[in-house]
Amino acid sequence: MFTNYFKLAIKVLGRHKFFTFISLFGISFTLMILMLVTAFLDTELGSHEPMSKRDRMVFLSQVTLKNIETDTIMTIDTIIKNGIAVYDTAYNFSPSNRSTSTSDAGFAFLNEYCRNVEGSEMETFYSPESSFDIFINNNKLTFSGIHADADFWKVFDFTFLEGRPFGEMEVKNQALSLVISKKAAAEYFGESQSYLGKTVTLEGKNFKVVGVVETMQGPQGFNADVIMPYTNMTANQLESQNSFQGGFQAIFLAKTKKDRRIIQAEIKKKATQILMPNPDEYNVLELNAWTFSESYAKQLWYDEDATKSLKKVFWIFVSLLLLFVLLPTLNLINLNISRIMERSSEIGVRKAFGASSGNILVQFVFENVILTIIGGIIGFVLASFLIYTINNSQALGDVILQFNGSVFIYSFLICLIFGVLSGVIPAYRMSKMQIAAALK
Amino acid sequence: MIQLKNINKVYRTKTIETVALNEINLDVKEGDFLSIMGPSGCGKSTLLNIIGLIDEPSSGAISIANQQISDYSSKSTARFRNERLGFIFQSFHLINDLSVIDNVELPLLYRKVSAKKRRFLAEEALTKVGLKNRMKHFPSQLSGGQKQRVAIARAIVGNPDIILADEPTGNLDSVMGNEIMDILLDLNQNNKTTIVMVTHDETMAQRTNRLIRLFDGSQVL
Repeated sequence: MFTNYFKLAIKVLGRHKFFTFISLFGISFTLMILMLVTAFLDTELGSHEPMSKRDRMVFLSQVTLKNIETDTIMTIDTIIKNGIAVYDTAYNFSPSNRSTSTSDAGFAFLNEYCRNVEGSEMETFYSPESSFDIFINNNKLTFSGIHADADFWKVFDFTFLEGRPFGEMEVKNQALSLVISKKAAAEYFGESQSYLGKTVTLEGKNFKVVGVVETMQGPQGFNADVIMPYTNMTANQLESQNSFQGGFQAIFLAKTKKDRRIIQAEIKKKATQILMPNPDEYNVLELNAWTFSESYAKQLWYDEDATKSLKKVFWIFVSLLLLFVLLPTLNLINLNISRIMERSSEIGVRKAFGASSGNILVQFVFENVILTIIGGIIGFVLASFLIYTINNSQALGDVILQFNGSVFIYSFLICLIFGVLSGVIPAYRMSKMQIAAALK
Repeated sequence: MIQLKNINKVYRTKTIETVALNEINLDVKEGDFLSIMGPSGCGKSTLLNIIGLIDEPSSGAISIANQQISDYSSKSTARFRNERLGFIFQSFHLINDLSVIDNVELPLLYRKVSAKKRRFLAEEALTKVGLKNRMKHFPSQLSGGQKQRVAIARAIVGNPDIILADEPTGNLDSVMGNEIMDILLDLNQNNKTTIVMVTHDETMAQRTNRLIRLFDGSQVL
């Protein structure tokens, strides 16, 4: 049956070349844009190296200190009581925020309060903020660096082109070990077969390259050239890490995806239990740990509560997507109605010979899905070409769009939904047509 | 085989009511070849459509092969049409985008028949109407007579008990018309297929074994 439908679909497409062109243009262009968006989202939100485990990550990037005092507001009013004017006094007590300080966490704070959090398999503390100016061969290079602990390499998964990550002992012993990206190594040393064992001088310290990775670029502020043990931070930097606030961030790796909520609740609870060192200055501590998507949404739509940010961003995105798909779908529905109307005699014949309304509905939806899949293939080719061009020209800076199996599956699903949506309404209308009327 | 009791068909609009069929009672026996004649607009095609279950009467009861069709759901009616009825139309109603063999296979698409068996049965039906050599052609490549023979092959491929033909020779010249009539007579006599045919042509009607006449929606003979 479907072979028959397929043959017919191809014939009908060939018969109305202009209509087919218009339809295919609309479908392929829409799907191309959708595929680009999907590729972008997959790059930004999908699980890729070095954040393949992002679905289990919980980010604690900010420590908020507040000074909250209870304000007493006294309101004096006059009322008439028994014909005499009397004073009526009311007191209102409400907490008032006198001052707030929000910053990254201090290493000492994380080390003392954020180890062995329930639900967490391991945690890493790292400082992403360092920038190094390097003068080499009369050229100035600027490297961005991350100071990290040894578990950093277990939470993230980098592809090592050569060498290895630095380990626990190297961190403890303040070893001048360094992992460098391939691009940074080539800039610093010039193109070479191997960079292992070579020395990189940063702020007067000679670091030895122990590992080279393909790239250190990724979402969530991940844009480093070098990574070294945090114990190599300068005395000043380390000094500043001795309070609640500093320059560190923490990532907790949940045992399971579900456990992220346990970690989030646990961290929130900790904030209420930790004694404030100087309550006169700040008497309330707030710790908010977010999942990857919550942190991402917070960057796009700021709300103190990132779960609200995520909801808002999600619904805005879904609405825009629906609007974007709805317009060409409505257009296609219109085109389909006129196309199917021409085939009323065929519908009459099919029904006369035993086709049920369901058979007719399936046939026309199937034909539309075929058209959409052809449009999808064209859209896929166009999107692949565009992604290749965007990546090559670095139009999105360091973001390299991914186009992999999952993008293909999402795109295919979009094609199917698009095809079914734009086919089902005209097909339903026609399937209900009276046979005698259709044959006239 | 076919019993119609008090069949009425009235077309209603907001302002006007048109009686297309008025109290039709008809009993068609198994193996009959019945012609329905009458002037244009007298309700011949409406009656044929009602017998063929492609239109519904305003009132009255239809029974085909001892089954009360009025009680059927639309899905059961579709299945009944598929298994028991075959249609031939004046303007052929072939699907121009499908080849001759694909057109003939059409009724079998809605049955549980393998693609191989469909092809075999369609070839057999085309052989019966003398068009086996035109299987791969498309309707646009055929003459009117050939198109109607393809339509007959499509009507008989599912081996129905009843064939309903709406002016099958109406668009053909007399030679081709006679050829088509010969095929229908052969089906009626050798396959014992019951045929109900609407025609304007007295000569063709005379070749069938029973004739009724309609006038203004009523049976006059």
